[in-house]
Amino acid sequence: MRRRNIIAALVLLALTVVYGALTTQLPVRSLPDTPGPPFFPWINTVILLALSLGLLAQGLWAKTLESVASDPDRSDASERWRAIWALGAFVVYLVVLPGLGFLLATAPFFAVLMVLFGEKRWLWVAIGSIAVTVGLYVLFRHGFSVFLPRGILPDLLAVIVP
Amino acid sequence: MNPEILIGLTQATGLIVLISTCVGVVIGLVVGMIPGMTISTGIIVLLPVTFVLPADISIALLLGLYVGGMTGGSFSAILLNIPGTPSASATAIDGYPMAARGEAGRALGIAITASFVGGMTSFLFLFFVAPLLANVALQFRTEDMFAVLFFGLTIICSFAAKSLVKGLLSGAIGLAIVTIGQDPVMGTQRFTFGQVNLMAGVHFLTAMIGLFAIPQLISNLTDVKGAASKVQTRLTSVVPRLPDLKAMRLPVSIGSLTGAFLGILPGAGGPIAAFISYDYTRRASKNPDDFGSGAVEGVAAPESANNAVTGGALIPMMTLGIPGDPVTAILIGALIIHGLAPGPLMFLERGDFAYGLIFSFFWANIFNFIIALAALRLLIKVLATPRALLMPTVAVLCVIGSFALRNNFFDIYVMLFFGLIGLGMRWLDMPVVPLLLALVLGSQLEDNLRVALTASQGDISIFFTSPISVGFLLLSLLSIVWSLRTAWLNKRVVGHSNKESPQ
Repeated sequence: MRRRNIIAALVLLALTVVYGALTTQLPVRSLPDTPGPPFFPWINTVILLALSLGLLAQGLWAKTLESVASDPDRSDASERWRAIWALGAFVVYLVVLPGLGFLLATAPFFAVLMVLFGEKRWLWVAIGSIAVTVGLYVLFRHGFSVFLPRGILPDLLAVIVP
Repeated sequence: MNPEILIGLTQATGLIVLISTCVGVVIGLVVGMIPGMTISTGIIVLLPVTFVLPADISIALLLGLYVGGMTGGSFSAILLNIPGTPSASATAIDGYPMAARGEAGRALGIAITASFVGGMTSFLFLFFVAPLLANVALQFRTEDMFAVLFFGLTIICSFAAKSLVKGLLSGAIGLAIVTIGQDPVMGTQRFTFGQVNLMAGVHFLTAMIGLFAIPQLISNLTDVKGAASKVQTRLTSVVPRLPDLKAMRLPVSIGSLTGAFLGILPGAGGPIAAFISYDYTRRASKNPDDFGSGAVEGVAAPESANNAVTGGALIPMMTLGIPGDPVTAILIGALIIHGLAPGPLMFLERGDFAYGLIFSFFWANIFNFIIALAALRLLIKVLATPRALLMPTVAVLCVIGSFALRNNFFDIYVMLFFGLIGLGMRWLDMPVVPLLLALVLGSQLEDNLRVALTASQGDISIFFTSPISVGFLLLSLLSIVWSLRTAWLNKRVVGHSNKESPQ
């Protein structure tokens, strides 16, 4: 945890410097003796700077009381890989969602997550991913008027079924 | 009698609102009992539905979920020794030993009854205290409101964090994120980088979906099998017997009052109330040695306390606009979406709605008791739901929820970004609750600070001349000193145990 604290403190210090630099560029539009738009960001900059330095100090000088036993993330390699795959699938899903549309993008994403969550029966994966995706689409699009994107599916259907 | 009380009662007793409350309770019981699903996640999943429903129905649904979730958490704590929610952790200490010796039904019946009494006590607190506090809060000026909000922020940071620095850092990051978009006084664009989508700032519901749901989803990947197979679904009678009811009187009284009072304090929350009342009850008990091995009092006290927290937490939310816990923070978001700003003006401008909310809470507790007792055998079968189906559904619902907020893909990317922040914070063991609450309170905090300073022409003594402001600033100081002391004591305990058990 000490190493993590030091890394996090350094990242936060860098972000605070960027935040402070951007704050200097904010327009100063205010009456005399009254706080303008940069006032609150300046307070935040000072607080963030002080706390990041505090975290750094904690990382540099803290005794090794926070031992490995208190490490919150002691997952094994396979669990880490599952997490990375899930995050990767999430990113890909969100990138393709606007173009492909809800149904075409969600079903494969759902299937990947089902497999990552331990489902090994491929038929169940196929049925579950399609059924839940279609169910959610119908419920939200037609039941609750949430305009989930249709994407290319209507065009594809028009080509397949002229 | 105040006519708004009657209008509120009528609103909350309308058929659709009652059905909505019932549905919320059932979902809450289910969500609460599934390990890995918190009440916050349940509410996040339900959010997109509430965007399209009228305000009274939405709030009834969410309140039902809140109340049901607190009770549902105890089911898995008793049956599996895995608390469904953090608030049910103390219940497992005595609940599981009771289940292990074949008294699961008895333990569950005690938990449900204690939850009911706790919930109804907190309803009375809410009904009588909230309007009075709102009246007092109407007298608050901007400097007082700043002090109140500041207090809300400091107490939350100190309660939420194992490390004070990390808790405060989490809050400070939230305050920095709040400055993205138009500034609340002059409307100047800040940190928007020319992005139109950022002009209105980061919507805190989108941020919250990412902060809570994605890290939880990833952490659930580490336990893909779940605990479904171990559940004991054969139950004896769940209706508490007379000797048990007698034994529950003292612990339920302690738990209900402790929970309702601690619920009012922002940040204290269900887990703290449950453990404190468990400890008080053990000290007050004639047989303290029975605790930990399946004592009726050990189940009744924490269960009444965590349900009593719910009504207590609604008091600062409704009267001051300060969330008592993450769930009430989400409720604030849901109210704002419907154009209703929680705070002292709520009772003045929309008294009917405020009382409607209070009576929906009342009905939620009634339904929770009935449904939990009547459908318990059916409900616990949900514990066998495969995670492989449940967790991907939650993931997709998070995406729908982010999108449905403004029908905008940008919000989905914001949700993912905050999910990554949440993962980073988990990696660092940094609490996310202060960040969330800073997102909720930050804009008001800046607004009141700047308006007060403008009124005083930049003279900061304005915060030290009003007795209300001074009082809340002193409370803030007390809260920080208290948490520093707690952190120091914790360190000493760790140091001692390290010395006593060298590797």
